[in-house]
Amino acid sequence: MINRRHFLTTVAVGTASAAALAACGTGSSTSAGETGSAENPVTINYTWWGNDDRAERTRKAIALFEEKNPDIKVNGNFTDFAGYWQKRATEAAGGGLPDVMQWDLSYLRDYGQRNQLLDLGTVNINTDAFEKSLLPSGQIRGKTYGIPTSTNAFAVYYDPAKLASLGIAEPDGTWTYQEFNDFLAEVGAKSNGEIFGGTDYTGVWWMFNIWLRQNNIEAFTEDGKLGFTKDDMKKWWNQTAALRGTPAIVSEERVTQLAPKSPFGSNVTATEVTWDNFMAGYLADSGATELKLAPVPSDDPDNLGLFLKPSMLMVASAKTKYKDAAARFIDFMVNDPEVGQIFKTSRGVPASKTQRDGTTFEGTDKLVVDYEKSIEQYLKDAPEPPIVGFGTLEASFKRVASDLNYGKLTIDGAADAWFKEAEDLIKQNA
Amino acid sequence: MTQSPTLSRRSSSSAHSQPRKSRQRGADARAGYTFLLPWLLGFIALTVGPMISSLYLSFTNYNLFEPPKWIGLDNYTTLFQDERFLQSVGVTVSYVVFGTPLKLAAALAVAMLLNSKRRGQGFYRSAFYAPSLIGASVSIAIVWKAMFGDAGPVDQGLSFFGINLGGWVGNPAMTMPMFILLTVWQFGAPMVIFLAGLKQIPADLYEAASMDGAGPVRKFLNITWPMLSPVIFFNLLMETIHAFQIFASAYIISNGEGGPAGSTLFYTLYLYLRGFSDFRMGYASAMAWLLVIVVGIITLIFFKTSKSWVHYSGDAK
Repeated sequence: MINRRHFLTTVAVGTASAAALAACGTGSSTSAGETGSAENPVTINYTWWGNDDRAERTRKAIALFEEKNPDIKVNGNFTDFAGYWQKRATEAAGGGLPDVMQWDLSYLRDYGQRNQLLDLGTVNINTDAFEKSLLPSGQIRGKTYGIPTSTNAFAVYYDPAKLASLGIAEPDGTWTYQEFNDFLAEVGAKSNGEIFGGTDYTGVWWMFNIWLRQNNIEAFTEDGKLGFTKDDMKKWWNQTAALRGTPAIVSEERVTQLAPKSPFGSNVTATEVTWDNFMAGYLADSGATELKLAPVPSDDPDNLGLFLKPSMLMVASAKTKYKDAAARFIDFMVNDPEVGQIFKTSRGVPASKTQRDGTTFEGTDKLVVDYEKSIEQYLKDAPEPPIVGFGTLEASFKRVASDLNYGKLTIDGAADAWFKEAEDLIKQNA
Repeated sequence: MTQSPTLSRRSSSSAHSQPRKSRQRGADARAGYTFLLPWLLGFIALTVGPMISSLYLSFTNYNLFEPPKWIGLDNYTTLFQDERFLQSVGVTVSYVVFGTPLKLAAALAVAMLLNSKRRGQGFYRSAFYAPSLIGASVSIAIVWKAMFGDAGPVDQGLSFFGINLGGWVGNPAMTMPMFILLTVWQFGAPMVIFLAGLKQIPADLYEAASMDGAGPVRKFLNITWPMLSPVIFFNLLMETIHAFQIFASAYIISNGEGGPAGSTLFYTLYLYLRGFSDFRMGYASAMAWLLVIVVGIITLIFFKTSKSWVHYSGDAK
């Protein structure tokens, strides 16, 4: 029998409590940094994001580094891109970032401006072989927080075999937005919806950024505010208004189902607009024998708005105890020709001329290098590290555009939603 | 029903009359707390400590990197102007309101089936309990995602019967039913508790009812339900609290984004994204405390209303 008093006293009422982590340490670091010897090597931690392919290449590079530098051991660790930033945030809060890290431009300000990263100008890293126009993308307020490993540029990928099977001519290398839209619609129409033209390119932040540059608008002002208006954004999302819901553009339902794989890598679309160093990944995912690259569309044939972006940077923790070892490892990873041979274009085209010249590019790797050469005349300066919280803005841009494709938001509503978030974020970080 | 004085009442009265026993009890208490100490230390350091600091942080603009700055109630007031927050509340409430009663109904139905004396009951009991052991795991979330994807078994099975819904994972209208099915499938834990409760109901009550010509529905409404009401109350409370905290499966199935179109943006998932993707730990702490308060209020309401429908043996009515 169940008795009230007995029952109530035994029921322990658990209340929902999502405990927040709160440890905030301030570690100290020696100014010179500790050094090791061959008998007594120091160990530095290195972490990166990427797939198994990159892990294998990195393992080879680390082995080579340890062979050349017997006084340093490198302890490697990797995750996928999304989980990567959540891990770094937790580590930074606890004061325990790894010594050396692969980094993305989107997050450079978040960590650099908040004194989490080592000023690499204070250690010995050779940057003589780098394009002078590229280095500022690793600098904030005159301090160097990141060294680019390699560059990438935006491009339209297409699968020549799929186009041939549909009887559609390959793009000739210049197209306006209208021509590009017609091309996407043609793929969708001729394949009877079997193959979609592409994903909705207006949902890609960097494509929006390039379009702004084609119209001579900078995305962010120097004082960290938005450089474009709500009307610019509405105009941009209107570009593909007629294509949404037709076979020209893959439905958002399919995109969500296929995630984390891309529709292009899953052979669902004939084109994809993204960074040129995704080539190796797309080839592996889709199993295609050949994929090609064309420049992005532009309504001004002389201004494609393109630029070389550091596809990734190497950074060190501000609290590392082994500054010298960290600097030597970064120098090795960005400059050594043998490292170039190991990675080829899987990190992008090597940024350091020493490394680039020491690498032989064949097959698809050559395609990527040739593409970056072919657009050389259109390239403008690389953008500075975007504003603090840019990673969040980029993610919300993608999300709002996805809601637009689901029909949950109108174009006006989408622009309002994004601007509200952006303004709130800029106010927060001011 | 038998009216027996409770154990605690009897021992408290004896403590008054016999001081020597009280001293003895003091020593027992000390020994008890000594044995509890390791757990207590962990509880204070790992649960109470972080909770207090998160309460403090909820009044600051803490961003993980810089020292927190006091901003008063700002986080709490901004919450109610944040459309994503309101969306996450909507998603979570509909999950709790639809998922929990369905889960409990399934648990009770299966418990009643398992309460009869048949061969192999032990096996069935374990078999029905198994999903709740593995249901909250990462691998099941991944399996669920594959099952409800395009051309997955669910899509194909329904198509066989002429129902063409496509994949559920990418369809904002179908993700909630998918999550509710996942939680209903994990009915094992409340089922075991229901089963224990059912076994406590004296068989002679049913016999007497049968003699008077009561059918199964009558027996359920007039015997099983009132006799089981404390257990139903307990399960309802625990499952409601539990449902508010859904996180892992939502995180995995939506790739940590709460999509498609925000339809799986559960409260805790948004809290996590705010804290660890947007670095707004103060805001996330405010969300956490709001959840604690709301769940606390709901618990209180449950206890208040329970007086009218939960029957304990020994009660006057």
